[in-house]
Amino acid sequence: MENWESEVEQNREELSSENPPEGASGEPEKQGGKAKKEASDGRDLYLNIRVLVGMMTLFVLMFTFIARIIVVSGESMENTLHHGDLLFVWSLGYNPKQGDVVVLTQESYQEDSIVKRVIATEGQTVDIDYFTGTVYVDDAPLKEDYIREQMLLPSYGEGLNHVTVPEGCIFVMGDNRNHSADSRFPAIGIVDVRCVIGHGIFVMFPFHHWKGLG
Amino acid sequence: MDSIVKRLAERTSWLLFAVAAGFVSAALRRWQLSTAFEDVTGLAIPGAQASVILACVLVMSAAWFILSAIHQPMAKRPPVEGQAERWDLVFLDAGDPVYPILVILAAFLALAATPFFLKLGIDQWRVYQELLAAKAENPSVQLPSSNGALTIATAVGALLSFLGLLQMGRDGFRPGRRGKGGFSAVLPGIAGCVWLMESFRGHAANPVQWDYAPLLLAIVCGMLFYMDFAGMSAGAGRPRRLLWVSAMTLVMSAPALVSALADMSLGDVLLLCAQGLTAAAALWRLPPNLEHPPKIKGTPIPRQTGAATIQEETTDE
Repeated sequence: MENWESEVEQNREELSSENPPEGASGEPEKQGGKAKKEASDGRDLYLNIRVLVGMMTLFVLMFTFIARIIVVSGESMENTLHHGDLLFVWSLGYNPKQGDVVVLTQESYQEDSIVKRVIATEGQTVDIDYFTGTVYVDDAPLKEDYIREQMLLPSYGEGLNHVTVPEGCIFVMGDNRNHSADSRFPAIGIVDVRCVIGHGIFVMFPFHHWKGLG
Repeated sequence: MDSIVKRLAERTSWLLFAVAAGFVSAALRRWQLSTAFEDVTGLAIPGAQASVILACVLVMSAAWFILSAIHQPMAKRPPVEGQAERWDLVFLDAGDPVYPILVILAAFLALAATPFFLKLGIDQWRVYQELLAAKAENPSVQLPSSNGALTIATAVGALLSFLGLLQMGRDGFRPGRRGKGGFSAVLPGIAGCVWLMESFRGHAANPVQWDYAPLLLAIVCGMLFYMDFAGMSAGAGRPRRLLWVSAMTLVMSAPALVSALADMSLGDVLLLCAQGLTAAAALWRLPPNLEHPPKIKGTPIPRQTGAATIQEETTDE
């Protein structure tokens, strides 16, 4: 304990010599003002950094748990989405519905996420007629005014063209049917809803592509 | 002897609870990794016991430490402006080696993380450049999601953390010095931003939130902890929140550490250990010092009026 006190006392002396009582220096107001200015500068710098760190924290927490912004890569969703579009995606509490544009990751296909449209959800039956280019869900033809061109037989064959979607899964397809790897493609297949990252809400950028996706 | 026992009791209530909660959440995370994910796909099993209990433990820990912070006895703010408004002397504890040892150990752990991130970043950069060249010849080549730049920036951040933590540890070795105590904690705080971005980017396409949420939350807690630590020396101290965020840094780092070990991500392991040790050091020193600020006889504190003064006790904010 003695060592403790002597150390503190020594520091006290150091401090006293570094900062003599203002009366002794003869310039009390100048010294006081300088100390206050230094304290204020440090505080301002700190507060600015704290705001930046706070914003970064908010953004990352938002992008992790609530919503994301993703860049569309490829042409599989044309003409709804274009390569390079910035898409706002809602994640929190989302449950996929038929017709929604969704962002998902199917690791059996690739590690990066892909954007597709939900064609059918659990319990629904999908039939694809390549001869007429029509998709049937529960025997009813889908009215698809969003597809780019009439669907043709893919290069890999018919793939999954008649399937009942199991529980907890969805069947997805790209709007550019003839240039899209989707649930028809065996490496992707039926997608578990837990692989869905979120629901595409609207295109943010470029501004001339701005539109809501429903 | 009585005062030593009392000081130990003041310290251990925060530190012991935080360490215990950390151990429990680490054990639960280990259990979750072995039971709460599907073997083939790696997707989370909905309603898995381990996940539910882990989430409950983390929420309960957060609530407990909020209550503890609210009820933490604290000295009053001094009625003068300038140096005395700061809480910088609250990290002071002459003759106590625990704080500086923990912080300097943390500094060297951060330094040890640097080469891991640097090597990973350089490897990613090299692969990216090779694939970029291949893409020029064959447009169907897929580029990787990372070009390595953020990972290299994280290595630089780890180096900055080392410098900041080392300075904090050195300040702990030189008790009684005015104006010291933690502003250098801004450096690991800023480095945490880069680390956070790098970690988020690495998992941006991962639909399993449990894979990365513990790590991101641990980094966020660490960043806020370092920033609040620095705020104590910058006239913007929030001591109760600092106590809470220190405890949560320790608690959240534990499950994230288990994940990082399972992924063999040594850079993350070392940085998590560094922030955990610093948080433990803060929890060791802060609670008793907030209640009974250290007495530094003769520390000159300029008054608002500019008149000379000698303060017998640094009562802080």
